[in-house]
Amino acid sequence: MPADPTNAKPNDPLPGVEAWMNSPQFRDLMRDEFPEDAAEWLDPVSRRAFLSLSAAGIALATGCNPSFKPASQRKVVPYVKQPEHIRPGVPLFFATAMPQHGGVGLGLIVKQSEGRPLKAEGNPDHPSSLGKINLSALASLLDLYDPDRSAKPTRGDARLPATFDDTVAAVRAALAKFDTKPTADRGEGVRFLTAPTTSPTVQALMERFLARYPKAVWVQYEPVSRDNLRKATKAAFGKPLNPVYDLKAADVVLSLDADFLTQGAGAVRNALEFGGRRTVSTVGTHHDLEHKSGKHPKEEEVLNAAVGNLNRVYVVEAMPSAAGVAADHRLPLKPSELESFARALAAELKVEGVTAPGDLPDLAKKWLKPLAADLLKNKGKAVVIAGEQTSPATQLLALAINKAIDAIGKTVKFTDPLEAVKDPTAPGTRNTLAGWPADDHLAAFKQLTDDMKAGKVDCLLMSGVNPLYDAPADLKFGEALEAVRKTASPVLLHHGLYHDETAAKCNWHLNAAHYLESWGDVRGHDGSVSVIQPLIAPLYGGKTLIELLAAVLEETPADSLGQVRKTHEKLDEKTWETGLKKGVFDGTAFKPVVADVKFDAKLLDDAAFSVKPIKDLEIQFRPDPAVFDGQQANNGWLQELPKPITNLCWDNAAMVSPRTADKLKVQHGFTFNTYRSGERGATETDIVELTVNGRKLKAAVHVLPAHADDVVTLHLGYGRTRSGRVASPENDRVGFNAYELRGTDGLTTAKVDVVRTNGRHFLAIAGAHAAMESRRPYRYASKDQFVNDDQFAKVPPVAAAETHALLANLPGTPENLTRLGLKHPHAHDHGHGDHEHEHVHDKRVIPLSLYDPNPIKVTPHLPGAKAEDANKTYRRWAMSIDLGQCIGCGACTLACQAENNIPVVGKEQVHRGRAMHWIRIDRYYTIPTPGKLMSDEYGAFEVPEEERKKQIRRAEDIKIHTQPVPCMHCEKAPCEVVCPVAATVHSADGLNDMVYNRCVGTRYCSNNCPYKVRRFNFLQYADYSTDSLKLLNNPEVTVRTRGVMEKCTYCTQRIRIAEIEAEREWNNPARPKDTNGRPKILDGEVVTACQQACPTGAIKFGDMNDPAAEIMKWKAEPHTYGLLVEQNTMPRTSYLAAIRNPNPDLEAVIHDGKGA
Amino acid sequence: MAQVFPKSMNVVARVSLLAIPLLAAGGGVTLAALVRSDYVTGAREVTEQPIAFSHKHHVGQLGIDCKYCHTAVYDSANAGFPPTKTCMNCHQQIWQAADILAPARDSYSRGIPIAWTKIHNVPHYTYFNHSIHVNKGVGCVSCHGQIDEMNLVYQSKTLYMEWCLDCHRAPEKHLRPLDEVQNMRFTAAGYKGPEYDAEGKVVTDEHGHPKMKEYRNQSELGLALKKAHMIREPQVLTNCSICHR
Repeated sequence: MPADPTNAKPNDPLPGVEAWMNSPQFRDLMRDEFPEDAAEWLDPVSRRAFLSLSAAGIALATGCNPSFKPASQRKVVPYVKQPEHIRPGVPLFFATAMPQHGGVGLGLIVKQSEGRPLKAEGNPDHPSSLGKINLSALASLLDLYDPDRSAKPTRGDARLPATFDDTVAAVRAALAKFDTKPTADRGEGVRFLTAPTTSPTVQALMERFLARYPKAVWVQYEPVSRDNLRKATKAAFGKPLNPVYDLKAADVVLSLDADFLTQGAGAVRNALEFGGRRTVSTVGTHHDLEHKSGKHPKEEEVLNAAVGNLNRVYVVEAMPSAAGVAADHRLPLKPSELESFARALAAELKVEGVTAPGDLPDLAKKWLKPLAADLLKNKGKAVVIAGEQTSPATQLLALAINKAIDAIGKTVKFTDPLEAVKDPTAPGTRNTLAGWPADDHLAAFKQLTDDMKAGKVDCLLMSGVNPLYDAPADLKFGEALEAVRKTASPVLLHHGLYHDETAAKCNWHLNAAHYLESWGDVRGHDGSVSVIQPLIAPLYGGKTLIELLAAVLEETPADSLGQVRKTHEKLDEKTWETGLKKGVFDGTAFKPVVADVKFDAKLLDDAAFSVKPIKDLEIQFRPDPAVFDGQQANNGWLQELPKPITNLCWDNAAMVSPRTADKLKVQHGFTFNTYRSGERGATETDIVELTVNGRKLKAAVHVLPAHADDVVTLHLGYGRTRSGRVASPENDRVGFNAYELRGTDGLTTAKVDVVRTNGRHFLAIAGAHAAMESRRPYRYASKDQFVNDDQFAKVPPVAAAETHALLANLPGTPENLTRLGLKHPHAHDHGHGDHEHEHVHDKRVIPLSLYDPNPIKVTPHLPGAKAEDANKTYRRWAMSIDLGQCIGCGACTLACQAENNIPVVGKEQVHRGRAMHWIRIDRYYTIPTPGKLMSDEYGAFEVPEEERKKQIRRAEDIKIHTQPVPCMHCEKAPCEVVCPVAATVHSADGLNDMVYNRCVGTRYCSNNCPYKVRRFNFLQYADYSTDSLKLLNNPEVTVRTRGVMEKCTYCTQRIRIAEIEAEREWNNPARPKDTNGRPKILDGEVVTACQQACPTGAIKFGDMNDPAAEIMKWKAEPHTYGLLVEQNTMPRTSYLAAIRNPNPDLEAVIHDGKGA
Repeated sequence: MAQVFPKSMNVVARVSLLAIPLLAAGGGVTLAALVRSDYVTGAREVTEQPIAFSHKHHVGQLGIDCKYCHTAVYDSANAGFPPTKTCMNCHQQIWQAADILAPARDSYSRGIPIAWTKIHNVPHYTYFNHSIHVNKGVGCVSCHGQIDEMNLVYQSKTLYMEWCLDCHRAPEKHLRPLDEVQNMRFTAAGYKGPEYDAEGKVVTDEHGHPKMKEYRNQSELGLALKKAHMIREPQVLTNCSICHR
């Protein structure tokens, strides 16, 4: 039956009513329920929503259930034949890998419950992950279940239903015309356009394809490419190479606009290795020294040795990044001036042939000498990392500097490129293929569009790309596509997860399988091969690129698994099985290439290599911290995640510094205040018109302190028009499409004109919801200050009411050290030989409680411990967060969201301060005064408005700090005493339980919480209606309804499951026992979702009653402090104050010798 | 106008006043009884199943172990429902052609699972875990009732929170030795088992053999096993997050 009955031919069967109802005419008729001008509700609550709400209200009023009887008609559907290893209710874990930016794989362990993949976690065995994870992989689970994913293949502009076989037949038909031609002429007009891929199987298939059709060309394209890196390494080594950093070994790190902790290949591993060098452990050092010398070490000795672990980080960048948060020294610099800076530094380091340019800003000049001296002092233990987007010249200079400081082969190694790249020096047939991808992806892509426009292409097969949205604007890819469509019999195939912008202009669309639905293989950042293992059968029957290629080549096996196995046929069955289980094949990492850097200073003047400094205002395009290049834009988790540092959600914006905002006269009268950036998180801003080389875009402005002056940063990945209901809702779009401005004339940075328009825009800034004002929530010191006074974090300026009881529960005190079997470092100072000496700062304190503190002693031999106490207390769960390691990336927030069924609320609700994240990341700015304790300088809030206006304009002096804030699980929780229905109460092991079924929604608890960590379901946020999203819910956690309060539970489901596993082994001799003979939960058996995800390892969780617990070491550190501890809440979550490692020489120069 | 009520009615009126609190109390009791009644809780309500599977026959008469079908009960939160394969293990051999088994044969041959109706429902926000209960010595019968006497299974307890708490506050009421967990007919009175000391350790005789003891009642056995099985204190077992997450 024809879809449109008006086109019915005489012999077609008579169209029925259904067909008529499917016709566009009928739908037009039905679109408006009321004829024109009939009143409709303009309110956001639609009439339909109102009716359903009132129906729900009636149902509630009648007691939810029309019958008194419980619903007893739930069905249980067992298997017909139960597969091996499946125990209903016990999740399974599978190793797989996610191909990310650049096609580089991140090894994952994915949790699967009853056949549903639920949560991605890092794979400890995978070299790129080491058990940690990033935002993209965490959010990919939501992509899998996205109801807006393309569900079927289509053909033609009318999107008629098609099948996989139809699609393959169409491609085969286009290739069939070559059958009569000699092999050498086959493939004319055929182009493959894919994202860069490291998959050995895809590469092998492409090689066979190109061998069969030699005139065909494979172009790899990605909006955020590694082209410049390949250019620079090619110039230095003769062929493109892939850098692998070893940050464990790096004492000094200089980042040239590289966000090496969150973006790019190996970032997750970088972050973990880097995090290990940002923490100070006096307890561990004490242990080590005592063990080594057999003597009780001196306090200074311990402290000096402990801070020796710290590395030193210099960051030069315009837009504050995760690396900028970690930095000891941060230099805001225009991106186009970065090359001059690198040149000047190279000249300072006497790199041959480089002369210092004269036009650097004064501050940058001051940096050079101390920085160069520090790098030289740490020869072989320092590294310079240049951002992959920086000009080839900058990266070449970074290579030369790395050579000069003896970093190559030590802190940075180089391997063969991960992606398919033609390498003339390497053997193998693929390098003789004309169509094999070139190393300059952009040039190849340009060539492709030229060929398309010239009508030379009639068969374009695209996979995993969306060039109509993200190609450089000046290449006019849309016109090129039109040109292909005008050829005689065009085949334009789009293979992707969504029916996106590009798919809409193609005559064939094939829905792709998500990586969690497919077999495949991928290389990690060091070349290690992992198998991508499916966790679920394709939800919408999607196909992989491997299957598409195999079908086009008419190869057997036609399935992905068969093809992948074929690629790795050399592996015997056992190796294959082991590799599959482990998530990586041992020994497949590329061997580091031993090559010397050949540095030719003449290249620096080459226009293709170098970027000229832009004198006026410039714009830089960077991938968004959350949605990256826009592929994952239709992901509610990523959209709602408050972006690192800016805390912006559901938008991108033109970021400018306060001084630049003054110059542009936008946000007039702007005074930055961390806690009031708009009413409850809705910040009204100006809309500006940006013009780059005649291309125009209107975008909202966001004023960001610490941003470099005269630069506008605009993130990519927004302004999608065809992605799904999240990123491109009807008649609206989320954010501003930076690709409309971005051309080949400036992929990273370009000159821009900015004109303020009369338009206004609301940005949702989540960070303003819960600020703790001037209560010194964030504490930090320099390394020297810490050695001088290791207790610096303990003294709050507001009220010094730290009592014995408080100290007993907030470790770092003699009692706790004794429990660890250690001596308190201060014990010697007091000279009494009394190791149990109480160390209390304020002698005037009085106990704040009438009652004895909780019985905390578990070891019966300690004084005061009673056997029955030990039996009562069991475990005391606690968390510690090292602020020195936190880079503010947001992985904890997202991991928590995935684990705990936290709903997405939408931009409007974020405006109202109703974001639901259980762990938020607060961001603070400080301006330290030289010579003073950094922490004393906290107090931007106390300074008068006028002074603050001046302070926030000092981009170069501002330090950025980030602090994750989950529920503190206070022992004396203020929320508990005010709940009228006892819906939040304490458990014996110290959890502040939240009982959803008791909660009546008074919100008193949230009012009384000094940390503002409680979240309320103002509306029905959890999605009860979308079938595919129901599959994503963690079955171990209640899905909350409207009117219920919720908050961080310390992942109570994980605790309880571990507890049950331990307790049920009470009579198993293999289960370790505690001192009371009870089954013990081993340290590390309970890992919270945030702790598991945190890429730097800044979060620790464990049982304070377990002397062997890792957390006790952190809790016993002298720089442990509790948030708002003066409120006598006795928080179980504590923080380690950040210890920074600034360079005294640089401090001296910056402050003109006025002391550091 | 004459009085409507004679003076003698005063007594009646006073007595009636007394009846108000009585009625109120009676109403309260009636309401409390009503919400706990089988009518409201759904207990003892027999629900039809796709196959009229008789636990009375399989458990009571044939004596098949609970774990034969509910395989996951010792190591998962869910006891596990038997796959059709489990039915066919026997019924390929016996009663192959019985009409009553047609749905099972059908399911097995076509690969379509049998959809049973769930009898014991706890709310979605309550997380009951079978494994911890059976591993600590709570018998199946304590929650499920005399399954061996039920043709079609019905819910025999209220499954109210007060019913859960009743045991969580005093687990000794329902504890039994681990090898008696699946026993449908176990009684503590007269049970001969090892004697435990105050610490929950088995008391041994001079040869190192456990000393046996005849227990008089459930309370004596339960209190001994509570120590021996390391059952946690009620202060812990009644924490909200033990069952609600």
